[in-house]
Amino acid sequence: MKWLHLVLAVLVLGAADVVAQDVFLKIPADPPTKNPLEGNAEAITAGMGTYRVRCADCHGMDARGIRGPDITQVWAKGRTDAALFRTIRTGVPNTEMPAHPAPRTTDTDIWRILAYLKTMAPATAEGPSSGNASAGAGLFATNCVACHRVGTSGGHLGPDLTRIGVARARAALARQIRGNMPDVRAGYQSVTLAAPDGKEIRGVKKNEDQFSVQVMDTRERIQGYLRDDMKSVTDENKSMMPVFGPDKLTDAQLDDLLAYLESLQGNDAAPSAANR
Amino acid sequence: MARRSFARLGLVVIGAAALVAAVAAQDVPPPLVSAQELLEGLKADGSRWLMFGGNYTNQRHSPLTQITPANVSRLAPQWVFQTDTAGRFETTPLVRDNVLYVTGPLNMAWAVDARTGREIWRYKRELPPTGGLTACCGLVNKGFGVLGDRLFLTTLDAHLLALNMKTGAIVWDTTLADYSKGYASTIAPLVVKDKVIVGVAGGEYGIRGFIDAYDAATGKLAWRFYTIPGPGEPGHDTWAGDSWERGGASVWVTGSYDPELNLVYYGIGNPGPDYHSESRKGDNLYSDSLVALDADTGKLRWHYQFTPHDLHDWDATQVPILADLTIAGQPRKVVMLANRNGFFYTLDRTNGKLLVGKPYVVTSWAKEIGADGRPVILPGYVPDEKGSLTCPDATGATNFWPPSYDPQQHLFFVNAREVCATFYAWKQEYVPGERYTGGAGQRATGPDKRAFGALRAIDPATGEQKWEFQYISPSTSGVLTTASGLAFSGDAEGNFLAIDSHTGKLLWHFQMGSALHGTSPITYMLDGRQHILVPAGTTLTAWALNEVPRVPSTR
Repeated sequence: MKWLHLVLAVLVLGAADVVAQDVFLKIPADPPTKNPLEGNAEAITAGMGTYRVRCADCHGMDARGIRGPDITQVWAKGRTDAALFRTIRTGVPNTEMPAHPAPRTTDTDIWRILAYLKTMAPATAEGPSSGNASAGAGLFATNCVACHRVGTSGGHLGPDLTRIGVARARAALARQIRGNMPDVRAGYQSVTLAAPDGKEIRGVKKNEDQFSVQVMDTRERIQGYLRDDMKSVTDENKSMMPVFGPDKLTDAQLDDLLAYLESLQGNDAAPSAANR
Repeated sequence: MARRSFARLGLVVIGAAALVAAVAAQDVPPPLVSAQELLEGLKADGSRWLMFGGNYTNQRHSPLTQITPANVSRLAPQWVFQTDTAGRFETTPLVRDNVLYVTGPLNMAWAVDARTGREIWRYKRELPPTGGLTACCGLVNKGFGVLGDRLFLTTLDAHLLALNMKTGAIVWDTTLADYSKGYASTIAPLVVKDKVIVGVAGGEYGIRGFIDAYDAATGKLAWRFYTIPGPGEPGHDTWAGDSWERGGASVWVTGSYDPELNLVYYGIGNPGPDYHSESRKGDNLYSDSLVALDADTGKLRWHYQFTPHDLHDWDATQVPILADLTIAGQPRKVVMLANRNGFFYTLDRTNGKLLVGKPYVVTSWAKEIGADGRPVILPGYVPDEKGSLTCPDATGATNFWPPSYDPQQHLFFVNAREVCATFYAWKQEYVPGERYTGGAGQRATGPDKRAFGALRAIDPATGEQKWEFQYISPSTSGVLTTASGLAFSGDAEGNFLAIDSHTGKLLWHFQMGSALHGTSPITYMLDGRQHILVPAGTTLTAWALNEVPRVPSTR
């Protein structure tokens, strides 16, 4: 979908230029407060196609979140149709969520996407966690904090989790911890480089091209390497995150950890968490 | 020791050759670009590049040989030009008499000193004050056409302009169509005799496409060919009901021209809505076709439809390349096209008959091209609401980025994509000026569906691949080849690449900071040195061999 991103980037840049000239600025009429297409079978089908093409790269085919947040919980957490409409139309400042201006995205397009999204959303929020969050915080400090950051402390090898309680449903977090997620988020793939002197460099792959690879190694050193300088560059096509099976983390401990993660709802003191 | 003195000898020889070339070029070229210069195309002296594909065949192959597989790794940057604006180049620059003429994004264009990269003039056309531009895929432009002292430029608001070459001032301004109805124009004009030939984009907006020819002197319309036949015309019955009125069939990639046959060849865009079968039953002529038109009248001589009733957005807007080949012992005048639908075609350009039709990427929609010239369709061709997996994806096996053809090796070079997609379709109401696709495609991902690209060298007499150079992801770069055996290309990660065109071996690369997108470098001689000019992102970079003595022409 890099292609689509490029196209979107050009459109967005083009649009920015246009806004600066104060032309083409189309102010849409206030949208209705309730999705007029909710439950409409034709709209749901159309919305599915549009969602898969334009939203799924970041939010996932199942809307459970990849780079962007899980968006199956939005209604359960109290957001309204009108607010969701505005979010899609105008984007979220300081995040990767772009605006979707007319005419490329019509009002109908947005209502269709929301009509489809609604079919994937549970009617009610998940019940409260049965785990003990403070016990979970202890588990986090022992097992996770070396790579994951919460607020101002923690490592950088894995994603920042300051807002993870907002961004991911509990079930998805459980799958990730237990190692049952097939897809690896770009930027966190495990890679091993073998240097000619026998040294091995292991880390997460931040970027690459046919001649080079950019890595954060396990000591958090960021560095680019030429493929030709290495004996081998091995992509493991899996996340650097270890699998925490029941042998390492009992079901009860997992519940505690999940309770702690769900309590992480963002923190204004941690601006790095905004981009999620 | 021996090696070093050979190198020195080489330099002396190259230097002497450069001197001779410089002396020969001392005559100041006539002030006006003549139709004869256009017919001559790329000359051995390397003094000019005057049209999109270098010459009317669209081969994009230069006779220059100063830069070779042996010395290409010593190319050095001479200067960098920055557009200082958003958007990026998809253009093929022109060069004549040491000045570059370059079109850019957002209705901008420049004349640039080819010696230094310094701007001589700049043209900027304001984007329309109201309504929205509908260019589906970026506010871009593919290059100038030229004749006399005029440059010809299409605009995003669907105008055709003639600019004075010396100043960039507008000489005339003609409206092609109403941009608020979804029309735009990004194509590089093709100048044939006294006419300027252009087309319109808007295949995702329910337009009715056309190819126009305008009088270069006055800007008056000389002829129009509608790419969708109207009532009473042959082919009109290939559109059910009134679907022809908004059937798309846009024209946004420059055609080629055969002066002997006096025919122009253009690839036509997709039918609209792109994905929904029920909305436009029939073959939908002349969408996804190659049309051969009389250059003087615009009358259709023949057509060949690559993808009848296309449901995957497979515009045939790839660059058609003309060549003379021997196929099965028979000399043939051919037109070749590596199509977005995954098949490579060689047609007899006198009559449009299929000579070769072979897949050059993984294709899942057609078993083969039948003896009657029609694809033999496989099950799962029609997308629906549930989605159907098809190869190639909507962007296609290749697309608008220009391929090249080496007439010595008889090889066609194209940047191909190996990508599949799940296509969805649904019924959509048409609203003028709004996007009208009736569905969408999503690139298939997953460990078993690795998307990648490759520069492929194809024998057009058989459709067989001679070699390939693989990229880690699909490239959207065009290709330039030279008589010294070089192919210049680019990858999606921003590397500019020099490849041995006989073997596919990588010789040299440089990270440009942005991919060559939809364009290729051009090459020309300047002050005794062969230059390679690379448009990438918002920059033009000129490369040459510093070891070759510079012999300034001081006329």
